[in-house]
Amino acid sequence: MPLGIIFKRALRDIRQNLVTHVMTTIVVALTCLVFVFFSVFSINLQRVADRFGKELAIVVYLKKDLAQEKIPSLYQKIVSMDGIENVKFVSSEEAFKRLEGYFKDEKEILEGVDPLFLPPSFEIQINRAVYNPGRVRSIASTLSTWPEVQKVQYGKEWVDRLESFSEAVRAAVMASAVLLLVTAAFVVSNTIKLTVYARQDEIEIMRLVGATNGFIQGPFLLASFFQGVSGSLAALVVGLFCYEYVINIIGQTGLIRSLSLQFLPLPYMAVVVLISGIFCMAGTAMALRRFLKL
Amino acid sequence: MISSDQAVIELRKVQKKYTQDIVTLEGADLSIQKGEFVFLTGPSGAGKSTLLRMLYKAEEPTKGSIIIDGVDLSSLSRSQIPLLRRKVGVIFQDFKLLYNKSVFENVALSLEVLGLKKSQLATRVKQVIEGVGLADKLHRKVVQLSGGEQQRVAIARAVVNRPPIILADEPTGNLDRKRTMEVVALMEELNARGATIIFATHDDALFQNTYRRVLQLRNGKIEEV
Repeated sequence: MPLGIIFKRALRDIRQNLVTHVMTTIVVALTCLVFVFFSVFSINLQRVADRFGKELAIVVYLKKDLAQEKIPSLYQKIVSMDGIENVKFVSSEEAFKRLEGYFKDEKEILEGVDPLFLPPSFEIQINRAVYNPGRVRSIASTLSTWPEVQKVQYGKEWVDRLESFSEAVRAAVMASAVLLLVTAAFVVSNTIKLTVYARQDEIEIMRLVGATNGFIQGPFLLASFFQGVSGSLAALVVGLFCYEYVINIIGQTGLIRSLSLQFLPLPYMAVVVLISGIFCMAGTAMALRRFLKL
Repeated sequence: MISSDQAVIELRKVQKKYTQDIVTLEGADLSIQKGEFVFLTGPSGAGKSTLLRMLYKAEEPTKGSIIIDGVDLSSLSRSQIPLLRRKVGVIFQDFKLLYNKSVFENVALSLEVLGLKKSQLATRVKQVIEGVGLADKLHRKVVQLSGGEQQRVAIARAVVNRPPIILADEPTGNLDRKRTMEVVALMEELNARGATIIFATHDDALFQNTYRRVLQLRNGKIEEV
């Protein structure tokens, strides 16, 4: 059966039942909109987690009695590790100066304290391109095994919590995606079923004059694909408008600007549209199979 | 039983049983040759419609076999049924028309299902509609036509794709005498062009003086009158 004929029949069916088709598309759009909101939240949370994570430095405290001549070789050893962006040596004196700077007007607190009481350390920045929380953990644990090292700090708990929260949100988004798309498919398939009920006589006559299952089903499947695609496109447009509106309101602060939030990436949107169309079509195919006893 | 190598429709010991008490056909045999025009008669409820429905596989026989154009219908898969129905044009007693569509759209449906485009089928559809005397009502909605006109639309739809077999189930049941004779004449014309026709009717007047074969359904058997 030529696709052109099925396409024309689908368009004719949509025109003849325009109100039903529009209502169904609105329901699909609302369902997809919920998913779009979840996705925008999840993707930006992930971005925030990545950004803060990247800015975390690993601080390697060295043993106080470590010989000065060992420091350059230790520095080279750290720099040569995979994924290291920058390494800075902080001597005991410099660490003390930073502490003094922290107390500012209350420097007297530090009176009588030995300027060398703080251990020397290396501050390590991880390469942003290869950053992930697992990588930070692995570098930190390697460093902590070195005999010259007294202690390694990298905000482990914070990174771990952020990572697990971000993963939980991503899982919730995926679960909601499946649930919402199944709902959309269910709504579309039920609307198509109602259309099939309404056109039962026509379908019976088509069968009696020798129409194949493809000829009967094709326009219904194509119409449901249209509904899935147009519903999800509408959801993305509305989602984008809402996002821009909210960003205009809250995005004036430096903090929000520095997070460089974004709407869904283009490939992600394309997948949402395509999957929505396919789900709606699959739901309709199942409904037709049962209803038409194909 | 008449049997021939030219048989285009054959029934062999066909039984159709709905329940233990309702038996429509009981070991019915039949052979209709290519190009034949036969009347199928019998009282209401004798099973004329059931027999015709089995010929286009809208119903299955309980036992026995039905062979159309050399193909045993029991061997057809679901996907092959449309191909059978393109060979068998059916005129239904209740017309089975799409009342909110035009005469043209109703008749064109039989060609649309074959995958023909509107531009390809228009000429043929118009010719056939003209042939049944409805040329001036081409774009009229079927609901606006009289019973006789609707019957002619149903005939046009059944024959537009030139099927070799035409099954007419009481096609004159709702018509006055004049319209009835017009329909019979139309069927005669189609038969003269080579179509094999089974004309089911309980109107004795239609076949009283005919030279055609008349088959009667009685007690589940098919008998020649």
